This record gives sequence, C-alpha cells and structure tokens, in this order.
Amino acid sequence: MKNVFNKQNVAIGIVCLLVGLMIAILFNTNHQTIDRDTRDTWEIRTALLEEQKIQQNLYMEIAEAEQTLQEYQEQTEHQQIESLKNSINELREQAGLTEKSGQGITVTLEPMFLEEDYQEYPEINAELLQLLINELNAAGATEMAIESQRVINITPIRDVNDNIYVNNSSIGELPTKIHVLTNDSEEIINHLEVSEIGDYFALENVTMNLSEQSDIVLPEYDEQIDLQDVDIVDVPEEGES
Amino acid sequence: MWLPALFLIIGLLLGFMTNMSIPDAYTNYLSIAVLAALDTLFGGIRAQLEAKFDQKVFISGFFFNVLLAAFLAFIGVQLGIDLYLAAIFAFGVRLFQNLAMIRRLLIEKYELYREVKKDTKS
Repeated sequence: MKNVFNKQNVAIGIVCLLVGLMIAILFNTNHQTIDRDTRDTWEIRTALLEEQKIQQNLYMEIAEAEQTLQEYQEQTEHQQIESLKNSINELREQAGLTEKSGQGITVTLEPMFLEEDYQEYPEINAELLQLLINELNAAGATEMAIESQRVINITPIRDVNDNIYVNNSSIGELPTKIHVLTNDSEEIINHLEVSEIGDYFALENVTMNLSEQSDIVLPEYDEQIDLQDVDIVDVPEEGES
Repeated sequence: MWLPALFLIIGLLLGFMTNMSIPDAYTNYLSIAVLAALDTLFGGIRAQLEAKFDQKVFISGFFFNVLLAAFLAFIGVQLGIDLYLAAIFAFGVRLFQNLAMIRRLLIEKYELYREVKKDTKS
C-alpha cells in the first residue's frame, strides 16, 4: 500500500484544513447570536405598565383636545372668541410667557472657600448649569428661572466669553439663584441631595444650597419666541440594532 | 483522494467547535480570502483532472492568492475604493470557469469509462 501520508498529500491536506477553518470562522462571524431579551416576567410587566401609562396619558390628551373642539363647535360666535382667548392664555402660560407664582425651592450656587492659601474665585460653566436644569426637570420641577431669566423649552444656556448666558443675557458671577416651581419640594430636595450633581459643583469649588419657599414668583419670558430655525429631529428608532 | 476531504472536515469542525469569530471590521478580508482559497482549491481539482497538477504551483497559488486578495481589500479600504469587489468579481468568474471545466472533464471521463466497459463486454 502506498503511504497516504506522503509530503504531497499532507501539504494539500493542510491547505484544505485552512480552507475549512476560514469558512467556519466566516460562518461563525456572520451567524453571531443576537442579544437575547433577558428580562424576567416582573421586569416585562413593569415595562408594560409604563407603556400603558403613556397610552393612558395620550388618550387623555386626545379627549381634552376633542372636548375643546366640541366647545368651539357648540358655542356662539362671541363664546367662541372667548374660548379661543382662553386657549391662547393657556398656551401662553404653558410657553412661559406669563408670570407664574407658587410654592417651590430656591437653589443657590455659592462659592465654596476651602482653607487654602490661595484660591481663585470659583466659576461654573454652562454645561454644569444644564446638567442641574436636567436634574431638576427629572426630579419633577414644573417651571424654572435662573436669576431673572425664565427657563422655557428653547432657552439657550451657553458660555460666552467666560460668562454664562441664559436667554441671551448674562447671569453674572456667582452666587447664582435658581428658582424652581414644583408641587413636591421635598422630593426635589431629596433627589438633588443624593444625586451626583453636588459633587460636580464641588469639583469647581461651588456649593449648592437648597431652601424650600412657600411663595416664588417667576418672571415671564420677555423675548420673542423664534421658532424659525427649530426643526423636528429624526429620532433614531431604539431597540434592534 | 480522501485525505484532503478529511482535512477539510477537520478544519470545519475545528472552526465550529472553537466557536471562533473575528471582529466585524475584518469580515471583508476573510470573506475575500475564503473566496481566493476556494478558487485555488477548485483550480487544483481541475488541474488534477487535466493531469497537470503541480504541487508547488498549488501551494504557492493558495497562499499568494489569499494574501493578494486580503492586500487588495486592505488597499481598497485605505483608499476608500471598494477594491475588494474587483477581487470578488475576478475570483467569482474564475470559480465558475473552473467548475465548468471540472464538469466537462468529469463527463468526458464518464463517457470514456462507459465506452471502455462496452468494449470489454463485447
């Protein structure tokens, strides 16, 4: 019998081995298992509840809109004008074009002086302030004003020449006061006290003092709301990649 | 004849068992390398059937083609041209040609074999 393991056969065999290996690796790479949904029943149920809540809210909004529409249709001309005016006032209030008062908290950002020989006067930047605003919104703030500038949906907060500009006017040096309207002051205070935002301010040598207020008056937004350059953002769909 | 097939199966098993995979960025290179390898393999089979098989040509062709294909893909990525398409096209065409030749040769051989059988019977 001829030896099958001669040099030629082995060389060709190794080539075949390599080909097989490469094909297998390529196959594996192209058929990687997709990430599995590892949520258990409880988590899925919670997610479902959340979605149902959103749905409920949407239904409520639709019902409200329909009610308004019905009111318009059923009323006489005079009443129609009246209810239109009401709607306009409501919308102005929502947009932040009216003064608003109520209970809430005041956040005071003050310089923190450590016992060091030399320390510059602390400064904050727009990014930190935005972070704080986001944090307040997440905690349940309804309306806000930074110093005398009302914060509305399109309020810009940015650094301009080492100054922080809110609504295109400077808010000056520290200390800075942020007035927040809310229905539940305690929750916001608790939320801010445990959140990391205080640490971020502390890194810049700034402390954050929270005080509950029974009566806060927020100024109105006094500029023209310019929506000319505002565009709808394409929100990328989440989930499957 | 069965040794290469055995090695091919061993290679496949090895790949599947180890569950190896490469990063997505390199799939282009590997796919083109696989194509080059298959091309060389079928070329080798054809040469064998034509009785022109040369081991040196086969082995060197295998490695050279694979490396060249990967290199072409690499250059393509660097230049922003999909050069690997050129390689896929070239190898694809050659693959089909080789397969066609193999088919013809096999048919010829089969007919020859039948004729020989007939002759011996009669």
